[in-house]
Amino acid sequence: MSVLGDPDPHLTFGKKLRNNSWGLVLLLCATAGLGFAILYSVAGGSVDPWVTRQAARFAIGFTLMMGVAFVDIRFWLKAAYPFYAISLVMLVGVELVGVTGQGAQRWVDLGIFNLQPSEMMKLSLVMVLARYFHGLAQDEIGKLRWLIVPTFLTVVPVILVLREPDLGTAILLLAAAGMVVWLAGARWWLFALILIAAIASIPIGWEYMHGYQQERILTFLNPERDPLGAGYHIMQSKIALGSGGIWGKGFLLGTQSQLSFLPEKQTDFIFTTLAEELGLAGGLMLLALYTVIISIGFGIAFRSLNQFSRLLALGITCTFFLYVFINVAMVMGLVPVVGVPLPLISYGGTAMVTVMLGFGLVLSVSIHRDVPIPRKPGLDAP
Amino acid sequence: MTYARQGTPQTYARHSGENSRRVQIEGVAAAALKKSQARLTAVAGIFAIGFLVLAGRVVDLTLVRIPELFAAPPVVTALAFRPDITDRNGILLATSLKGVSLYANPRDIPNPKQAARHLAAIIPGLDQAATVARLSSEKSFVWLERHLGPRQQDAINRLGIPGLNFEPTVKRIYPQGRHAAHVIGYVGIDSEGLGGIEKTLDYEGRQDETRAQVLSIDLRVQNALREELIWAVAEFRAIGAAGVVMDVATGEILALVSLPDFDPNRIDQSINDQRFNRATLAVYEMGSTFKTFTTANALEIGTVNLKSGYDASEPIRVARFIIRDDHAKNRWLSVPEILVYSSNIGAAKMALDIGSERQRKFLGDLGLLRAAEIELPEVGSPLSPTPWREINTMTIAFGHGVAVSPVQLANAFATIINGGVHHVPTLFKRVPGARTPGKRVLSEHVSADMRHLLRRIVVEGTGKKAAAPGYVVGGKTGTAEKAKAGGYNRKALIASFVGAFPMNDPRYVVLALLDEPKGNESTFNFASAGWTAAPTVGRIISRIAPILAVKPIDEDDRQLMAAAWTP
Repeated sequence: MSVLGDPDPHLTFGKKLRNNSWGLVLLLCATAGLGFAILYSVAGGSVDPWVTRQAARFAIGFTLMMGVAFVDIRFWLKAAYPFYAISLVMLVGVELVGVTGQGAQRWVDLGIFNLQPSEMMKLSLVMVLARYFHGLAQDEIGKLRWLIVPTFLTVVPVILVLREPDLGTAILLLAAAGMVVWLAGARWWLFALILIAAIASIPIGWEYMHGYQQERILTFLNPERDPLGAGYHIMQSKIALGSGGIWGKGFLLGTQSQLSFLPEKQTDFIFTTLAEELGLAGGLMLLALYTVIISIGFGIAFRSLNQFSRLLALGITCTFFLYVFINVAMVMGLVPVVGVPLPLISYGGTAMVTVMLGFGLVLSVSIHRDVPIPRKPGLDAP
Repeated sequence: MTYARQGTPQTYARHSGENSRRVQIEGVAAAALKKSQARLTAVAGIFAIGFLVLAGRVVDLTLVRIPELFAAPPVVTALAFRPDITDRNGILLATSLKGVSLYANPRDIPNPKQAARHLAAIIPGLDQAATVARLSSEKSFVWLERHLGPRQQDAINRLGIPGLNFEPTVKRIYPQGRHAAHVIGYVGIDSEGLGGIEKTLDYEGRQDETRAQVLSIDLRVQNALREELIWAVAEFRAIGAAGVVMDVATGEILALVSLPDFDPNRIDQSINDQRFNRATLAVYEMGSTFKTFTTANALEIGTVNLKSGYDASEPIRVARFIIRDDHAKNRWLSVPEILVYSSNIGAAKMALDIGSERQRKFLGDLGLLRAAEIELPEVGSPLSPTPWREINTMTIAFGHGVAVSPVQLANAFATIINGGVHHVPTLFKRVPGARTPGKRVLSEHVSADMRHLLRRIVVEGTGKKAAAPGYVVGGKTGTAEKAKAGGYNRKALIASFVGAFPMNDPRYVVLALLDEPKGNESTFNFASAGWTAAPTVGRIISRIAPILAVKPIDEDDRQLMAAAWTP
């Protein structure tokens, strides 16, 4: 038996090509293309400094995605625990040798490029949880003691990420893990309990927050409180959105973004530029693109027959949804400002690579949807 | 081929067909799938709701909320025409010059290089290379130079270059430069008031260009005060200084200086520390000058008279604080001695008899517990303790625990010595001869007693170096350590002297405050107020008294002096 599991005589390369969800691949490319267009506009009608580098990253991400997609899903099953361990070690590494960027320790300088282990953890955590629940029987999932391990698997990286501090990623990790556990079939009252506990612990959490985090939440509750300081992002963002109208001011013509009233206009707040220049129509179109991508992800999960593949595809699709939801809601002042990029659109390398790798796994689930994987290791050898 | 195994509860069975493969799942795995798919549907529903909320918000923001967001709060707009600003004698401090700004339509410029060369000959300091670049651009509008005079405009017109045009502009000019910088303030590039009286004019919406705004400032006094403070900063290596000269009868401020200062004509070249107004915006714990108020307060309410006194032989211990004297006499001190020798212990005991409530009311009546009501935007709010405990009462008695701005101190001091009437300080000239409204805070006889006591400080106490022979100076020194996190910095002092002249019939209060002065050889390395701020005030009074037409008298002639003191 090879590393990649038992080669399936029925799953030829041609079959794999046919099984691949080309629709999803196309949509991802279309979304990234829209992203390039906005970055082109934000740079004042120039491919420098953002589009060229973003396109290069997308090319790398695309290659990685296709590579991941065609690797047998059973390899990813086996790799789940080691990957998780590596990500965890790197997160601890950030604690020890991290480079501080914008007030937070998030990066490990690898010489050639900066690696953000918390990004890798987003994938590893979903993988490891999917792997864990794959090995459980349905009646076991309902029992609390089987949830001790996933709790630890989740809480340890969340605490490490919070210490960096990176509230946005911590929320994403927690939410994605919660979704996987829920989809695996844990009892619903457990989630009700956790929700109540979370609400009850808000006052305690408040005390442990950084000054800037408290500031953001206060500002979220009332952005006009400090329109030139912490509320500036949101106020300018809302004005930009409001000035777009139905059809927008036109490509390259958004005053708020072109005149640099908007901070972080090429990264976390890029949705504002889009909505200003392309208006309501543009904003809704992007949301529609995301909706179709997420639906396809769900469809792939729905069709896969084993727990690991299903949970993996779902977990990654959920993470993707959370990215979009938190970012767009933040830009429009529905949730406090947390550093979450708009996937495939925001300028930035690690997030792009993470999203592409994630969809590589989703595609792998799609390609290998008919490959059965027994619940316990050792059962897969005929 | 099958993956089924005996004894395992779940069974995966896959049957190969000829054209298709059917997959069948049974048992626990099927249950897991079913449950999982049910929950997936629920999650998909939640996601759908989430996106609907986002879409709704996009609609809300782009279509519905526009007017609300664009209804900005009322903004103070720049005056269309700014009035001139003059000192009390009509000397111009700020005016507006009409001129033109030069712009061009590069598309109409036939020869950018030649045009730039011609323009550079007319406009000194024009960057030729940059001008060529601007004139060669693809745009249809570029600014070339702001604020040209009529002669330059004429010369440019004579060049006959098509594509050059003018836009009328107004430039604010401050002929006196730095001399009253912190009072006058400055404007931005569109002539909007950004500081000082200029900003106040914007707030008050004065649109009357023809009538100049007359200030209470006397430029001659202002200049003397500024020069002497500059001398003191250099002599005592201070990091800054503040000075105020105030008319005791009207509250008019004749001079107000903060150092370092700036040139309002070149505001872009100044730094924050220069623009910071130490005379009105900064608040300091003033130290012993507050003993003046403690003594006046006690005399007014009658808890002491000039013959009574307190035992100042032992330091006072309150909780973890020890109150001791800097110039300790270690004996019983009379009330005049407490003030003249600046005894902390005596002042603290005096304040205990006054009581917290009466102390707070008196300081409030003197205007020390609310921001000064002068016509500058840069006004600092005083700091006072809440709650006002007994220990605060004791430390405030000698000027610690309450922080006020220099202009407040000068104003309160004027009230003590002018017969006891508090006038609101002002930077605008009052109508000469008109009676200035005021509020009585102190009885006349206490004010007269205070004048005698304050004169004694200069004759025989800590303020000897403030003497300006002939002008009967009286006043009080104050040396305070600057507060730092968790205590006081013994090396960083605020040295101040607040005085008035002539003490027999006071007309002007003079305050000098030095920020972190250092001792030198002439002061035997003392940096305290008696050695630094007091001589500065002496020098200032020697210079301004003749300007203000105060007649000197021979201080050594006892008969003359006695006659001068009797009303």
